Amino acid sequence: MPTLGDYLLVSGLLFSIGLAGVLLRRNLLIIFMGLELMLNAANLSLVAFARHGVTAFGLPDYNAQVLVFFIITVAAAEVAVGLAIIVALYRLRQTTHVEDLDRMKF
Amino acid sequence: MDPHLYPWIILFAPLVAAGLILLLLPRRNAAAGVVGIATAALTCLLSWKVFLQPELAVTAQIPWLDIPGVFAVPIGVILDDLSRVMLVVVTTIATLVFVYSAGYMRGDEGIPRYYAALCLFLFSMLGIVLADNFVMMYIFWELVGVSSYILIGHYYRKDSAADAGKQAFLVNRVGDFGFLLGILMLWLATGSVMFSGIEQNLSAVTLHPGYLIAACLLVFCGTLGKSAQMPLHVWLPNSMEGPTPVSSLLHAATMVAAGVYMLARIFPVLLAAPEVVRDVIMWVGAITCFAAGLMATQQDDIKRILAYSTISQLGYMVVGIAVAPVNDVAMFHLFTHAFFKCLLFLCAGSVIIAVHHEQDIWKMGGLLPRMPLTALCLVAGTLALVGCPGFSGYYSKDLIVAYAHGANTAVFWITAGAALLTSFYMFRLFFVVFWGRPRGSHAEHAKQSPAIMTIPLLLLAVAAVAAGYPAVSKHFFALPHGEIPHIVHFALLAALLGGLALAALLYARSPMTDPVRVPLFANRFYIDNFYDWLVARGQGGLAVLSSWFDRWIIDGLVVTGAARTVWATGYVLRFLQLGNLQAYAFFFGAGVLALLYFLVFR
Amino acid sequence: MSPLLSLILIPLVTAAFCMAGSAPRRISLFGAAANLILSLYLLASYNIEIGGFQFVSENALFPAYGISFSLGADGLSLVLLLLSTLVTFAAVWVTPKDVKFGGMFYACLLLISSGAIGAFSSIDLFFFYAFHELALIPTFLLIGIWGSGERQRIAWKVTLYLAFGSFILLLGLIGLWLAVPEGLRTMDIRLLQQLGYAGLLAPGPAVYLLLLFGFGILIALFPFHTWAPEAYASAPAPAAMLHAGVLKKFGLYGLLRLAVPIFPAEIQQFAHLLLILLLGNILYVGFVTIAQKRLDLMLGYSSVMHMGYAFLGLAALNQLGLGGMALMLFAHGLTIAALFALCGEINRRTGTLEFAQLGGLAGVTPKLGLLFGFAAMASVGLPGFASFASEILIFFGAFGRGAVGGFNWFQTATALSLWGVVISAIYMLRAYRRIFWGSRGSAVNDDLNDIAGGTRWAVILLIAALLLTGFRPGLLLDYLNPVFAYLPQ
Repeated sequence: MPTLGDYLLVSGLLFSIGLAGVLLRRNLLIIFMGLELMLNAANLSLVAFARHGVTAFGLPDYNAQVLVFFIITVAAAEVAVGLAIIVALYRLRQTTHVEDLDRMKF
Repeated sequence: MDPHLYPWIILFAPLVAAGLILLLLPRRNAAAGVVGIATAALTCLLSWKVFLQPELAVTAQIPWLDIPGVFAVPIGVILDDLSRVMLVVVTTIATLVFVYSAGYMRGDEGIPRYYAALCLFLFSMLGIVLADNFVMMYIFWELVGVSSYILIGHYYRKDSAADAGKQAFLVNRVGDFGFLLGILMLWLATGSVMFSGIEQNLSAVTLHPGYLIAACLLVFCGTLGKSAQMPLHVWLPNSMEGPTPVSSLLHAATMVAAGVYMLARIFPVLLAAPEVVRDVIMWVGAITCFAAGLMATQQDDIKRILAYSTISQLGYMVVGIAVAPVNDVAMFHLFTHAFFKCLLFLCAGSVIIAVHHEQDIWKMGGLLPRMPLTALCLVAGTLALVGCPGFSGYYSKDLIVAYAHGANTAVFWITAGAALLTSFYMFRLFFVVFWGRPRGSHAEHAKQSPAIMTIPLLLLAVAAVAAGYPAVSKHFFALPHGEIPHIVHFALLAALLGGLALAALLYARSPMTDPVRVPLFANRFYIDNFYDWLVARGQGGLAVLSSWFDRWIIDGLVVTGAARTVWATGYVLRFLQLGNLQAYAFFFGAGVLALLYFLVFR
Repeated sequence: MSPLLSLILIPLVTAAFCMAGSAPRRISLFGAAANLILSLYLLASYNIEIGGFQFVSENALFPAYGISFSLGADGLSLVLLLLSTLVTFAAVWVTPKDVKFGGMFYACLLLISSGAIGAFSSIDLFFFYAFHELALIPTFLLIGIWGSGERQRIAWKVTLYLAFGSFILLLGLIGLWLAVPEGLRTMDIRLLQQLGYAGLLAPGPAVYLLLLFGFGILIALFPFHTWAPEAYASAPAPAAMLHAGVLKKFGLYGLLRLAVPIFPAEIQQFAHLLLILLLGNILYVGFVTIAQKRLDLMLGYSSVMHMGYAFLGLAALNQLGLGGMALMLFAHGLTIAALFALCGEINRRTGTLEFAQLGGLAGVTPKLGLLFGFAAMASVGLPGFASFASEILIFFGAFGRGAVGGFNWFQTATALSLWGVVISAIYMLRAYRRIFWGSRGSAVNDDLNDIAGGTRWAVILLIAALLLTGFRPGLLLDYLNPVFAYLPQ
């Protein structure tokens, strides 16, 4: 039976990998994936908390799970918008490398 | 009509007339003249009425500046012997000059402007005469200054006239600087700006003689400017750029006498002040009256000769204030001088018109047979000015010189010497302009001026002769009785004859140019040049220096410095805006870590 | 709706209409006229016997900080409101009919007006400050878009510098607010004044100096003054009229409103510093003014110089000096507005303001010459104009702080300031002589037409107001006297 600590360790690892991806990779799509990874790391820890943190009535804490659903829906919307922006950018500049994208105006 | 309203009508009618002409008649030459003359005549009539009703007292005041319980400056009128006489003199002469102007200014393009300014001047001058407090006097003091500025600059297209008007205003402002400071000092000491209040509370100041001396001398600065005493006399000869009636009314008869009138008004204060105040006043007057006489002997412009003569005579009046025990002595000379000097200027104007606006006496000559009436009037004025027995100047000037004899021997000899100079330059003027042969075609064809100009001349000539007789003057002045020392009579008579003889010797044979050349006198002791240098180098240099300092030091360092600091801060902060997404993310992450560290682990 | 709120809203609404609709000139003239009439009505209906702040309306916004949108007017505010509406009306009237982006231009003018009116009628510290900031933005636009010369550089410089001044002022205001005893925390200026009178509010000299220099930068106190001449020279005439005539008075108003009741001891303590700085304004800036070779710069510097007299009234700190200072705000605002309006007219006709190229203009445009003469004489402080009455009050007030028998700092400063009267005559008459008198300059020819239409009447209106209040200063002093009547003599 894995403990809460194990879950949090995995979650922290996932978050770190995501963050490293966001900070270090240059391709927008990879950065985007890193971002998703960080969100899901947060989801994992929230679910773990919900499973282990029991309320007075002996039930799991659903608040955390509700939050997870929230994050999933928002992430879906975000992916839709973000990918659309990336596609639009690519059409305009023929690149998805962040180093080439440092101007507010083209 | 209620006689108590007379002073108010006298005071405000000219202002109303000036506004009327300016607003309603800006292009109606004839109407403007009629309004102006009618107003002057009205004030004259009412002034004589006021003069003939010595029991009339007006105490009503119009509040002007009023801070309850702290400070009040009303517009009030004072009716005493001093102001009654001055009212009569000012309005009578003004009326004659207004009438004369209608002839002199014929064909001028700016007649409404001219009459509006003359009415403004009359208003301001009457304000000085009637003022019952120092601030009110200062108000009208400034206003005569500005009306004089407008009138001197009447021919504003001429650069010389424009410069002269400006100079007159500025020199007067320098005098007014001291005047107002003196008023402030007297107010602080006595707690009042009313003449009556200052005189009552004067005992408070006599404890501080140095303070009182400074205050009185600063007030006297006002006289220096307005009455063109040395060293602020330079503006008066230049003011001759204005039309001749203006020179006559403002710069000979009335406005320039305002300085003397003001001293007469505060005479009790001068008496209470330490002796040194009156010594300074006496010496300033004596030096002015002699030096201006010297300068007059070498002028070639007919109006400038008279202008220096005016300065010289004002010097006599100032001496009269300082040496006599009553102010009537100086006022008496002011009274007679107003008539004969006004007459002389109007004669000069009539000559100038006759020779087609030529003012150089060396282009005139032989006018006696061509304009006999003018010549006659000029002779009457000259004899009055030089103090010939039987003419008005004789009585008033002798009185001042007699008191100078009693006060200080040196001053007596200076004033007597000035009388010699007076006689010399006036007969020089007469011989060169009227005697001998004409020196040009204009002088050849000169004709007597029209009646509208000669009638005021004749009336003034009568006054110039008669104003001094004891039978006349006793109605106006309470002159002290006393034997005038024989030496005074003798010295003045000798001065008169000496000047006449010298002038006849040099000029009666009608030379084409001046046989005497004294550059020092002709260039007015180089005082004007000195002032020009001072203004150009001193003031101009200081101004350029300050401007440079302002441009490069203050603007460059302080103001632009502050603006640049803001800009530079922004410039530095701009380097943090890389535009690189990952850098922002890194800063963000680092910020979160730092926050966590401080919130959780500390 | 409270009348003061209408006074603020009318220009705002009119500005919105100007930007949206057509005929902006007619709309804004109408709005400005309505505001002028409203302010006259307020003056008439103010009860002098009762005094204090009237027409008060309060709307608490953030009670925790004591911020509330409160309006109210006492005699001082009313006089300044009249000044604002008069000058706004004149500025709108003199705006040339062919100004580009007309709607925007009028809207900017009205926004400045609204900001100034709001600042003068707010009795809440927060809005007092905020309204003034609101007025700075349209000033920036007016110089940057419609200005002349290096307009963008000047617009940036002026705005950044004034923002810097406002920042110092803000620090001072925060310091003032922090000094209010706990539990009484308020931004209500009336309460702050009461606390000041009662001696319960002692923020200390540092706060006073922050306020003095913060306001001082906005007023162009020496040596923080060089933004002003450049700004006024570059700004279009109506903008210069509004800024020099109205907006700059905000600083002096603020000092009268806050410094006088709350910091009397500090004003005394730093009187020597203030006297030296104001002599810098009068004498030093006076000499700089003499050296100017262009009319617009000269007028800009002259307006800086006249601020010295106002500071002299403040330093005197008695009823005479402060009353004179308040009267001077009004007189100087109208005078400088008239001068800038005429300066704009000269520029429109001859295309230059260099003295060297002008001359003899009075022969071509006599009415312009006459009106400029009146305005110049008002600026010189000739009796008959309100400027003279205010200067006399200030001089007597400051000299009254002296001692009989000696010559202390106040007397010396007054004597030296009196020399400023000579200096202002020098530069004004010299300008008049160079522009209007003498022989024709190269830019002057017979084809120039005389001043006419709206500009003429607007300037006549300003001069008539100056003459009226000069002949009867009591008309305004009746409102101003009670404001300072509590001061000891």
